[in-house]
Amino acid sequence: MKPHRRKKLTIILFIATGLSVAIGLSLYALSNTIDLFFTPSQIAAGEATNGQRIRIGGMVKEGSVVRAEDSLNVEFIATDYTHDLVVRYDGILPDLFREGQGVVVEGAVDNGMFIASRVLAKHDENYMSVEVKAAMDAAEAARAMPAGASNGS
Amino acid sequence: MFDGIVFASFSEFVQMGRYGFHVWSVYALFTIFIIANLLVPHLQRKQFIREQKSRALRDGQINGTASSSSAAPGESV
Amino acid sequence: MWLWFSKLGSPKWFYDLSGKWLPWLVAFMVVTMTVGLLWALLFVPEDYQQSFTNRIFYVHVPVASISLAVFPLMAIAGAITLVWKMKLADMVAKCAAPIGVWFTGVALATGAIWGEPMWGTWWVWDARLTSMLLQFFLLIGVVALRSAIESPDAAARACALLSIVGAINVPIIKYSVEWWNTLHQPSTPLTMDSNSANGPEIWVPLLIMIAAVYCFFVISLILSTRNEILQRERRSQWVMDIIASERV
Repeated sequence: MKPHRRKKLTIILFIATGLSVAIGLSLYALSNTIDLFFTPSQIAAGEATNGQRIRIGGMVKEGSVVRAEDSLNVEFIATDYTHDLVVRYDGILPDLFREGQGVVVEGAVDNGMFIASRVLAKHDENYMSVEVKAAMDAAEAARAMPAGASNGS
Repeated sequence: MFDGIVFASFSEFVQMGRYGFHVWSVYALFTIFIIANLLVPHLQRKQFIREQKSRALRDGQINGTASSSSAAPGESV
Repeated sequence: MWLWFSKLGSPKWFYDLSGKWLPWLVAFMVVTMTVGLLWALLFVPEDYQQSFTNRIFYVHVPVASISLAVFPLMAIAGAITLVWKMKLADMVAKCAAPIGVWFTGVALATGAIWGEPMWGTWWVWDARLTSMLLQFFLLIGVVALRSAIESPDAAARACALLSIVGAINVPIIKYSVEWWNTLHQPSTPLTMDSNSANGPEIWVPLLIMIAAVYCFFVISLILSTRNEILQRERRSQWVMDIIASERV
């Protein structure tokens, strides 16, 4: 093998090994911290320390949103249906922010309450028209009614 | 078939709810993307053939032969 | 068998065959793209949550999913280059990289434009978006590596290696939304039931757009591979005949 070829081959091998090691290491490093957010259950379990800047994700609990009348202040409950977390936020909410919808909140835990600095909406993978949604809701209600009656609740 | 169109007027279609800017910038980008990726190789091909033709012509004159199908001996690349 | 394989790998064979295919591919693309775009823009009903931003779905999803095909394609072509030194495989790999940069870039940009009103942010460092950005930089890396190494053979081998390594990222992108908590939603499941979410009225135009964009990807790859063939084979008789016969 000619010397200059040998040199090039060495460079190629060096680049390839270096890249694989870099990718492997960064994936390994990321595997613990790659999750974008904590769940309310993780917060309840004390996985985040007070004041540490984190993100939490969950659903906005139905009927929990309370807006201030004279400011942008808003308070709502983020839930993963196991644990609830009260979130307080002062700012503009994204268009998709709705009760019963997913939400990712940036901020810090402060005495069991979450003080948000930014609220992002997380939408699900389902697409449908307003009509289909209404029909599904109607069918859901029709199913729930007799079941509820027979339970006597 | 026009019954299925979900917009009642052209201005509704342009406004896309209130997301006209977002929707149309995505479609504009998509159009640029498609045109660019079809046009650029087409132009490159034309350019290449033009270059090769003039090269063949030049080499032909140097060698004193008019044939464009002679191999280009002056080529070093 | 070997004869067939080397014939398959011959640039002239590919040039002739792709020349026959191109008009059909272009016709198929024009039809599917026209139907797909009109359907997506005019006929898809307003989404119950996202209003008319669901129009972005029909561009973003096809472009993003086809961008995931680029690295596997380059990795297979790279493996063929490394093992059999087939010239055609390297030409395809070389031409796929810049097209992949475009696809990944457009997927990121359309996603950002969609995320801005819906999520409330155009960018977030979640697993899906970050791994997609990594693919964007890896593809730029492949293009840069190709132009940085002078010897074509060495460049082909280096790019083949980087493509094989980079292909590891593809399943990470694909499953990132299931393996980790992300802001990006999981893949949409398609159902035949027109009375539930994600019914045919949602996915039929999507499949048409995916077919159109796939066809577009193949056409642009063929066009630039044909240019690459002409460039590299310019001293062979059959290419000189083509050049002589072509009017500019």
